[in-house]
Amino acid sequence: MTLDTVLQVALSGLLMGLIYALVAAGLSLIFGLMDIVNFAHGELLMLAMYATVLLNAATGLDPLLQLPVVAVGMFVLGVLIYRCLIGRALGVQFNRGMVQIFVTFGLAIFIRGAAQLAFGGDFRSVNVSWLGNKTVHFGGVYVPLPQLAASLVCLVAFAALLGISRTEFGRALEATREDRDAVALIGIDRDRIFALGWGLGAAAVGIAGTMLATFYYVSPTVGANFALIAYVTVALGGFGSMTGALVAGVLIGEVEAVTAQVLEPSLKQVGMFAIYLVVLMVRPRGLFGKI
Amino acid sequence: MKRLWVAMAVFAAGLSTAHAEDILIGAIYPLSGNASQIGVDAQAAVGVMSDIINTDHAAIPMLLGKGGGLPHMHGAHIKVIFADHQNDPQKARAEAERLITQEHVVALIGSYTSATAATISQVAERYEVPYMAMDNSSPSLSQRGLKWFFRTSPHDEMFTQGMFDFYKAIGEKTGHPVKTVSLFYEDSIFGSDSSNVQKKLAAAAGIKVVADIKYRANSPSLSAEAQRLKSADADVVMPSSYTSDAILLMRSDNEIGYHPTIMAQSAGFAENSFLTSVGTLADGVMSRSSFALDAVKSRPAIPAVNAMFRARANKDLNDNTSRQIVAVQTLADAIDRAGSSKPEDIRAALTKTDIPGDQTIMPLKGVKFDSTGQNTEATPVIQQISGGAYHTIYPFDIAVQAPVWNVGK
Repeated sequence: MTLDTVLQVALSGLLMGLIYALVAAGLSLIFGLMDIVNFAHGELLMLAMYATVLLNAATGLDPLLQLPVVAVGMFVLGVLIYRCLIGRALGVQFNRGMVQIFVTFGLAIFIRGAAQLAFGGDFRSVNVSWLGNKTVHFGGVYVPLPQLAASLVCLVAFAALLGISRTEFGRALEATREDRDAVALIGIDRDRIFALGWGLGAAAVGIAGTMLATFYYVSPTVGANFALIAYVTVALGGFGSMTGALVAGVLIGEVEAVTAQVLEPSLKQVGMFAIYLVVLMVRPRGLFGKI
Repeated sequence: MKRLWVAMAVFAAGLSTAHAEDILIGAIYPLSGNASQIGVDAQAAVGVMSDIINTDHAAIPMLLGKGGGLPHMHGAHIKVIFADHQNDPQKARAEAERLITQEHVVALIGSYTSATAATISQVAERYEVPYMAMDNSSPSLSQRGLKWFFRTSPHDEMFTQGMFDFYKAIGEKTGHPVKTVSLFYEDSIFGSDSSNVQKKLAAAAGIKVVADIKYRANSPSLSAEAQRLKSADADVVMPSSYTSDAILLMRSDNEIGYHPTIMAQSAGFAENSFLTSVGTLADGVMSRSSFALDAVKSRPAIPAVNAMFRARANKDLNDNTSRQIVAVQTLADAIDRAGSSKPEDIRAALTKTDIPGDQTIMPLKGVKFDSTGQNTEATPVIQQISGGAYHTIYPFDIAVQAPVWNVGK
């Protein structure tokens, strides 16, 4: 194996890992806030990817310019999902845990079916973009520009999410997470905070979807390809920890890339799950988990 | 007045159930899930052929084009009932059973993926109903001693033989023979069967396999796999992939600055969404095919059938949809010759099938089944992408353009 190959594998793993982290960010946020695993996470990603592809086809605008539009649209969708579904599921008296699981699970199946109906099963892609299929190379090491852009956006998004946690709103989020009943006593509207949390989580996955659409294909089932890795990323990093999601994403990307080089590529997820199991045994709350 | 309406409604209901002589055929395809577009396109293709059979299309020069319905069955119509296997072998098994026992179909057709064909054909065998594999290409399907299995199109061994014949011919023609190949295949019956044949034929041709890469289907990334292909640096990369991975492979190669000569085992590479998604990155990609849209001279029915398909699906016929059309045609011909809708009579007629190639839309020599149910006269072509479409480059006598051959340069 040449030095170029080693560097290329490390770089591919890093870029893919940052993308995994970006996809997991919204999931981690929502989980950390209200202990709900959003099983429709992959489907929200898919919706954002479709929004990007369709907007691009209709307007010819570059996906990078659509980023704010898709993020805002997904924010609104996230708030709506909380107001119409999740908020109600939180209010049930019996089997609350099961209801919360099934409500997002049902939502996932509904969105996937609706997408199939509306968009058909064909694979689609962004066809006009500044970065599409472009690369730069340093010696024998190639850097794909769409993935590089997605990685940078990932870092910015994580910085922004960490920034938000330092604001008044961030502290309200934190307080609501710690004790959702007590915050009502000091005048924090719990429903409002949760709705905004869902909005932020959906916006984050919207950003991930837009960046992903610059180099990945879109189909109604595309969410499943990323959702499993997102769940592992969140669990490995520690539920609710943003830093954890970032570190875990990169770790998974690198482990996957290295496994595919040294083992048979069809086994590349084995390395990732092996690390996950080891962490679960040694440190069940995940790398950066607080709970 | 109200009574009159009721009477008319009853009469109309009676009419709609009066098609007792309709011959029911069950089709099992992925209509939802990752491969759903294949199933939707199959519905269009099967619809086109049913239409050609059931109503008069004298202007289309192919078997069963002329006249409405099946002539030896008093003009009976064929009716195809679709079921969804969601690309899951177990669902395919359940749907096959339901179609046979509940819908009382006299034959089954399907199913795109070879993994689902394996379970459907087992059910067909147990209930003694013919299964016509329309677009399943794993050789092992017809090597299990099944009595009720039939396949009109070539299997991957015949397809792959076509590729190696082409390597030999182009090597002699250009003086740049293929010395090494890399295999790249998904972890399924399709991928492993295809790569096994490729290994066998490569050894027979004295071509070295320098990379043997089995990958996980629908991965989020194929960059590590592409890196291994690049390191191996073979003369030709031979992928066996469905659409999603075909798209990702072309992009992942490009992302690390790797632009190999590719000879694909069709499947995803034949799909329209592959061509539109990867655009110019796909230029020069070669694939085996059982269909040549441009072979109009020797297959005069192609333009009319393609126009009918285009009206329904808004795209041209391809490797998969053309095979579906010929399979339905072959099955209908057998039912017609049997003069009966009993499965055992249909099976007997299928074994005596003898359709000349020019009565179909495929470039095969003809349709004749051996004792395993495989059409022995199914001959593939090799095509190459230029300008966003496939063009036939081999066999040289029916080629419409010269191959672009970068091996050894």
